[in-house]
Amino acid sequence: MSRRVHSRATSWLLLAPWVVAFAVFGLYPFAFSLGASFTDYSPIHEGAPHFVGFANYAAALADPAFWSSLGTTAVFVVGSIPFTTALALALALAVQPAFRGRTLFRVGFFLPSVVSVVVLSLVFKGLYAADGTLNALLGALHLPTPSWLLDPHTALPAIMAMDVWSASGYYMVIFLAGLEAIPRELYEAAHLEGAGRWDAFAHITLPLLRPTLLFVLVVNTVRSLQIFAEVFVMTRGGPLHATTTVVYYLYEQAFYRFNLGYASAVAYLLFAVTLLLAWAQMKLVGRPTEGAA
Amino acid sequence: MMRSRRRAGAFALACLAILGGAALSCGRAPSTEVVFWEFWPAEIVQPLLDRFEHEHPGVHVRLEQLTWQSGQEKIAAAVGADHVPDLCEVGSTWMPRLLAGGKLAEWTSSVEDLRPELRGWSLCSIGDHAYGLPWVMGTRALFYNKTLFAKAGLDSTKPPETWDDLYAAAEAIQKLGGGVHGYGVQAGERYILFKKFMPFAWGNGGRILSDDQTAAVFDSPQNLAALEFYLKLRDVGLIEHQDELDRQFKDGRLGLEISGAWLFKSIPRDAPRLRYGVALVPRPDLEHGTHASFAGGEVLVGFKAAKQQAAALQLARFLVRADNALALSIAAKGVQPAAVAADTAAYYREHPAEQVMIQQFETAVPTPNHPAWGDMEAAIEDEIEQALLGKKTPRQALSDANQKLAQLVAKP
Repeated sequence: MSRRVHSRATSWLLLAPWVVAFAVFGLYPFAFSLGASFTDYSPIHEGAPHFVGFANYAAALADPAFWSSLGTTAVFVVGSIPFTTALALALALAVQPAFRGRTLFRVGFFLPSVVSVVVLSLVFKGLYAADGTLNALLGALHLPTPSWLLDPHTALPAIMAMDVWSASGYYMVIFLAGLEAIPRELYEAAHLEGAGRWDAFAHITLPLLRPTLLFVLVVNTVRSLQIFAEVFVMTRGGPLHATTTVVYYLYEQAFYRFNLGYASAVAYLLFAVTLLLAWAQMKLVGRPTEGAA
Repeated sequence: MMRSRRRAGAFALACLAILGGAALSCGRAPSTEVVFWEFWPAEIVQPLLDRFEHEHPGVHVRLEQLTWQSGQEKIAAAVGADHVPDLCEVGSTWMPRLLAGGKLAEWTSSVEDLRPELRGWSLCSIGDHAYGLPWVMGTRALFYNKTLFAKAGLDSTKPPETWDDLYAAAEAIQKLGGGVHGYGVQAGERYILFKKFMPFAWGNGGRILSDDQTAAVFDSPQNLAALEFYLKLRDVGLIEHQDELDRQFKDGRLGLEISGAWLFKSIPRDAPRLRYGVALVPRPDLEHGTHASFAGGEVLVGFKAAKQQAAALQLARFLVRADNALALSIAAKGVQPAAVAADTAAYYREHPAEQVMIQQFETAVPTPNHPAWGDMEAAIEDEIEQALLGKKTPRQALSDANQKLAQLVAKP
C-alpha cells in the first residue's frame, strides 16, 4: 500500500465518526422530513402515509395561523438583530483595549450565552411577573407597571429584550476576534493623518469588520428564525398567539396535533425563508472574504 | 514448546468457561422483559416494579423515565416508527388523539373485572371499549389562604360554597391592599385556561359538545353566565400565569385560586408556615349547579406493535391496584389513585386537604374523547382569552368559539 493510499485511508478513518454521525443525525432526518412534507404522515395513525404532493405546502400558505407565526417571527428577527448586533459591537469595542479588569468584563458579558435558555427564560419569567422585580423597580419610579407577558403588545418585545441581552455576549466574542485581526498600523497611520476616533471607526474598523459583521448577521438571523425555547418556557405562544413563532407553530402541529407531514412542510418553508434572507444579507453586506470569521 | 502448551491450556479453559456459561444460562428460567415508559421519578416507581418482579418470577421490567418536557415527542416518534414500549404512561389530554390513531391495543375483555374498582374509564375508552387502564387521577379544587381570610374578617373555617361567596371573599381580600390579591385568574398560557374556566361552565350545566359529539353547544346561556362570572373575578384579583399564581399563593399574597394537588408537595417545601385550606370548586348557588371541575389523569396503555403485550397487561393490572397506586400517589403527591378502594385509606383520613381532591372527582368532568379535541381545546382557550383580555364580549367570544367547534365537529 503506497503512503498516499495509507494516508487517505487514515483520513477517512479519522473522519468516519463525524461522517457517520452527520449522516445519521443530519442527513437522514433532513431527507426523511423532506419526504414527509409531501405526505399526510401522522405517527399515531395506522397505515402507511399517503403521498399528497404539494398539498401540505399549499395548506400552510393558505393558513392564516402560519402567516401570523411568520409575521411574529419576522418582528422578532427585525426587532432584535439590529439591537443584538449593535450591543455586541459596542461591548466588543468597550472591552477590546487593555484595562484593569478587562477579562472580568469579557467573562461577565459572555456568561449569559453559556447559561441554559430554559434557566434564563425562567429567571426572566419571574422578572417580568406582574409583581416581579421589573415592575417593582418601575413602580418605585412611579412608572406604569404592565403585565409584560400577559399583554399581547408587550409579550414579544419582552422576549426580544431577553434575547438581545443573552445573545450579545456571544457575538461580542466574534466581534472581538474580528477587531483583533485589524492591523494596529492602520490606526497609527490614521492617527498621524489627524483622523479622530469616529473617523477611524467609520473608515477602518467598520469596513475591515465587514466579513465578521456578515457572519454575525447570517448566524444570528438563522438562530432568530428558529426561536423556540424562550417561547415554550415563557408564554407557550400566548397571549392571543402574540408570541407564536414559526418553530413553535410547527412544534404544536408536529407534537400536539401529530400532523408531522404538515409540520415538515412548514419547516421547509421556513428553511426557504432562511436561505432567502441569508442570500439577501450576503448581497447587501458583501461577500465573505477568505479567512473571515 | 512449553509456551504453546500453555497457550493450548488457556484456550481449553476459555472454551470450558464459555460452554459452562452457556449451559448455565440454558438452565435458567426464560426471562420476559417488559419495557415500561413512565414519567415519575425512578425512586418512586422502581420499588413497585421490584415488587411486581418478586410476585411474577420470570418477568423483568426495564424502566425508562420520560420527562414532561419531551416525553410526548418521544412517544410520538416511537409510535411512528412502531418501535414502541410494551407499556406506556400517557396523560389523559393526549388520549383523544391516540385513541383516534388506532395504534393502541384494546384491553376491553381483559380488564372487564376492574370496571367497578377504578374510576376514570372515560379517559381511555371509546364507548365500552377500553384501550388502557386509568392509573392515577388529577383534578383541580379551590385553594384558599386562611390567614388572609381571617385578616379580611371572613370565617376561615367556611370556604366559599357558591359563586357569590367566592366573589365576596375575593373582594374582601382584595380590599386588604398592600400587594395582596383576592382571586387568581389564569391567562396567557395554552392548555391551562380551559381547566380554569370550564369548572364554572360545567358547574352551571354548560357543555362543549352534544352527547353524541355531533354538534357544538358551547354558546349556551349556561356557559355565558359562567364566562360573565369568570370575567367578574378579574375585578377582585390578579391575572397571571399559573406558576406565578401558585407562587403568589405560597407567598401569602393571593387569597383564592383554583389549582392542583401539586401544591401539596410544593407548599410544605416552599411555604411550610402557610395556613391554607382546600375546598370544592364553588357552584352557581345553593339551589342549582354542581361543584364541577376538570377530570384528568394518567393512563397506562399498550400498543398493537408491542412485543410483550400479555406481560404488559399484567404489569398494568398490578400498577393500578389500590395499594400500588396509593403508594405512588403518596410519594409523588399531585395525583390520587384511580382505584376507588384507596379513597378510604388511612392516609387520606389523616390528610383531609388531599381527601377534598377525591371528593372533587365525584363532580369532575372529563374532556370529550373527540379526535379533534386538541384543536377544540385551542379554539375554546383562544376565545376565552379574547374575552379575558377585553378584546371580545363574552357573548361574541362564545359564539366565535362555538363556530370553530362546529367546523371541527363537521370535519371528516
